[in-house]
Amino acid sequence: MVIQQPVLEPIHSPYRFRYLSDEQLTQLQEATLEILETVGVRFPSEKALAILSGHGANVDKEKQIVKFPRDLVQKSLKTMPRYFTMGAREITFDLHLKDGVTYFTTDGCGVETVDLETGNRRPSCKADVAMMAHVADYLSSMAFYWPMVSAQDYGRTAPLHEMDASWNNTIKHIQSETIMGEIPARYAVEMGTVIAGSREELRRRPNFSLVVCTIAPLSQDKDGIEGGLVMAEAGIPVGFLAMPTLGTTAPATLAGALAMGDAEVISAAVLFQLAYPGCPIFHSMMHAWADPRTGAYISYPLDGRARHTLIETAHHWGMPALGGCFGTDSRNVGTWQSAVEAATDLLIAVLVRPEIVTGIGLSETYTLLYPEQIILDNDIYHRVRHALMQLDINEETLALDTIRAVGPGGQFLSQKHTRQHMPTSLVRAITHELDENNKYRDPLEVARLRLRWILENYHPEPLEQAKQQELNRILAAADKELS
Amino acid sequence: MTSETPPLQPIKPAYHLNILGDEQLTQLTTGTLRILDEIGVHCPSEKVLRIYAEHGARVDFENQIVQIPPDIVKEVISHAPRFYTMGARSPAHDIVLDGTALYCTTDGCGIETIDFTTRVRRASTKDDVSRMARVVDYLPSIGFFWPIVSAQDFPETAPLHEIEAAFNNTVKHIQSETVTGEITARYAVEMARVIAGDEINLRARPPLSLLACCIAPLAQDKESMESALVFAEAGLPVGFMSMVNTGSTAPATLAGTVVTGDAEVVSAMVLIQMAFPGTAIFHSLMPGIMHPRTGAYLGTAWEGTLFYAIGSELAHFWGVPTLAGLFGTDAQAPGWQSAGDPASSLLLVALTGAETGSGLGLLESCMLLYPEAVILDSDIYHRVRIEVNGLDTNPEELALDVIKEVGPRGHFLKHRHTRDNIRRRVFSDLTAQPTPSGGIGDPIEIAQEKVNWIMENHWPHPPEAEQQVELARILKAADKEIGGRQ
Repeated sequence: MVIQQPVLEPIHSPYRFRYLSDEQLTQLQEATLEILETVGVRFPSEKALAILSGHGANVDKEKQIVKFPRDLVQKSLKTMPRYFTMGAREITFDLHLKDGVTYFTTDGCGVETVDLETGNRRPSCKADVAMMAHVADYLSSMAFYWPMVSAQDYGRTAPLHEMDASWNNTIKHIQSETIMGEIPARYAVEMGTVIAGSREELRRRPNFSLVVCTIAPLSQDKDGIEGGLVMAEAGIPVGFLAMPTLGTTAPATLAGALAMGDAEVISAAVLFQLAYPGCPIFHSMMHAWADPRTGAYISYPLDGRARHTLIETAHHWGMPALGGCFGTDSRNVGTWQSAVEAATDLLIAVLVRPEIVTGIGLSETYTLLYPEQIILDNDIYHRVRHALMQLDINEETLALDTIRAVGPGGQFLSQKHTRQHMPTSLVRAITHELDENNKYRDPLEVARLRLRWILENYHPEPLEQAKQQELNRILAAADKELS
Repeated sequence: MTSETPPLQPIKPAYHLNILGDEQLTQLTTGTLRILDEIGVHCPSEKVLRIYAEHGARVDFENQIVQIPPDIVKEVISHAPRFYTMGARSPAHDIVLDGTALYCTTDGCGIETIDFTTRVRRASTKDDVSRMARVVDYLPSIGFFWPIVSAQDFPETAPLHEIEAAFNNTVKHIQSETVTGEITARYAVEMARVIAGDEINLRARPPLSLLACCIAPLAQDKESMESALVFAEAGLPVGFMSMVNTGSTAPATLAGTVVTGDAEVVSAMVLIQMAFPGTAIFHSLMPGIMHPRTGAYLGTAWEGTLFYAIGSELAHFWGVPTLAGLFGTDAQAPGWQSAGDPASSLLLVALTGAETGSGLGLLESCMLLYPEAVILDSDIYHRVRIEVNGLDTNPEELALDVIKEVGPRGHFLKHRHTRDNIRRRVFSDLTAQPTPSGGIGDPIEIAQEKVNWIMENHWPHPPEAEQQVELARILKAADKEIGGRQ
């Protein structure tokens, strides 16, 4: 029996939750402009410095610090598209970013995997990326795919092998978070062109995109930026992710950390719009906290406020936002902590209406893959998706005639209305699966069974053989040049 | 030696969200009014039926069915106060319901306890209520206390023993969910009067309130309604909860379930306002969805989250505070499910402006007490409380001068601003806790340690000695009249 691929089920929020007031949005934006103008951002890239200098930024070439006159920032960002398309291998899975719809992806890029067969913890490998792409291809919650772990069995070309493993196992859009440097980026564009069929088609429906991390405080990464510029030239969407840590790489106050992270992202956005006006870019920030006792990186303290404030800031600048949810600090799968950290966070994130959100499925602060966790996180995702569905109120659903027929003290079980609606009334969570004794099963056990079921029974649409061969050829060339 | 009770930390949202559109709210409440007018509610109490009849409802005494015309519902319910105070033994812990804050209580009323010492599952007792009242007294997340389990060692008068155990072990407001019947209710009111001190204080700052359950579909419980009337007469707040179950005691559609439950609650609220206009009442809608294979009531199905926020908005439509159904996981032990179940509904309900909410601390659909569950649930509570506080963007918080001083590629650790402000950041005291061996502690084990610490170290101010003697005297009389342990 052929198992059909489920259609995507993104989260539609009928509500608009405004976390920041207009005045606060302006305050934060002014703070960003002031930081860019008076403090500046370090760009350790000759190429980037030349572009910025050529367009009127104040460049200190020795220190590689760029200060941005506010007019330059405001003028350059006018060319940014507010929405764009993230293409897929199959056109039906293209994501047309728009207001009120949020598409989710997996987390990335972990470095260890708890092996599904042995239960042992080991370094991650390309086969893990392939396996999780296979699972993500099946899940309706997963609109696009971040290679979840690093293909560490391929050394320096790991990012390209992650792309290969992904395209061979899912027809959905791929977003890399690991491609760095001009040369790997050119290979990635070549691979994307093979999948798309032509450079023009790649530009029209880019089947992959890139997230580039900034370095807090107020610095860019040479390879990240130069890889990104190669992508932007080809029309591939590029996002910039700031990850300031309150108390170490950022001020210990939320507003200060937000303004500083925003300045990092906006400085990159300006560069890209100056280099390739109109290129699709997106904004992202995932701040964290330093544990004052241990210095450890904590992504979910009790006061996790403002984790999604930057989504509003991004929209205020006129660009789409990549929100960050899940990615628990818990070290084990299926724990109280792994659920508590994700559940409230997700609801508030989607109420602010980001266009795209990462990252389902990793533990230990984005570093450890338990393959079954994606199924548990998927359950939390669908809880929130349903919580935001508007209530359907009409004559049929109000059921006054049925209530009249049953009357006080009766029961609805034998009613035709009940038989008609009960099959769709209970949307069963992973927590309400029964065993042979009609007892609820352990959700973690159900998650493992479901994962295995997907891997054994569902077969993603394979990539055409000719394209597989082309990808192999490109990978072989990259391995030769880079390794 | 006694300990001070920490100040309450209610959830004060900086934001408001409307779940239902105006048109949807009208559709639902019109449905409720039509049910009350055209179908009616079953009420097996002569006393209650007479009150309905005297105030213009159509009463079929033989079938014990009451139908209430929409105009009467609207007029009568308009006498209910929108806001009021739920008093506490300590005035500093009074709960002022004014639409700005959400106060949560423990869950109730469970029937089994994971023993505090042996960790063996057993029937719940009065001592469990006492111990948990002390734990709750310590927790700023808990605004008021539902006796969390049943005092089953006092079978006939358990509800009164639960109230005594509660009054003796927490200075916070007590809300009973088990007092039923006129006689028991009169004893409960007498106990509240002892705590309040006098009649004026009892009415102005009632230390006790009552939650009565309706019977789905569309029926009232004789004992519950008669006890509610006793409470209302004394000026103690009373609320009504519907626990309609989609597919078995309600239609298998969400909207149909909501209007069935709402009609039950409104019919009871109308009765109280007919009998004692102006009495403090509250509305509570806590539907479940039937498991199609077992018939079980599931409070935490995927679609269920919406019910509780809608219940809050319906209460506000009728002009009364809500008691929102929160927490109450279906999980059988603390873990992934017990955390995943409540989190989003708490956030959504807080954003609708709910005034009160149950119920932290029980598992297995409000039946089983794990002592540490209230600590774990409190962590979720505080996450939501802080989340909805909003962001401060004043110059000290924006810290532009600090960012300038540190500059690109610098470090904030040694800056005075960091030293001053990192202490103000709030971290969970359950997660990311280093162990002596260099690992990270298990949040559930840490919660167990915390609950044990509270029980060993927190001894709230008890009622005055004369009040304790009076409570014991009332209980003795109740035990003698109603039965129970002599």
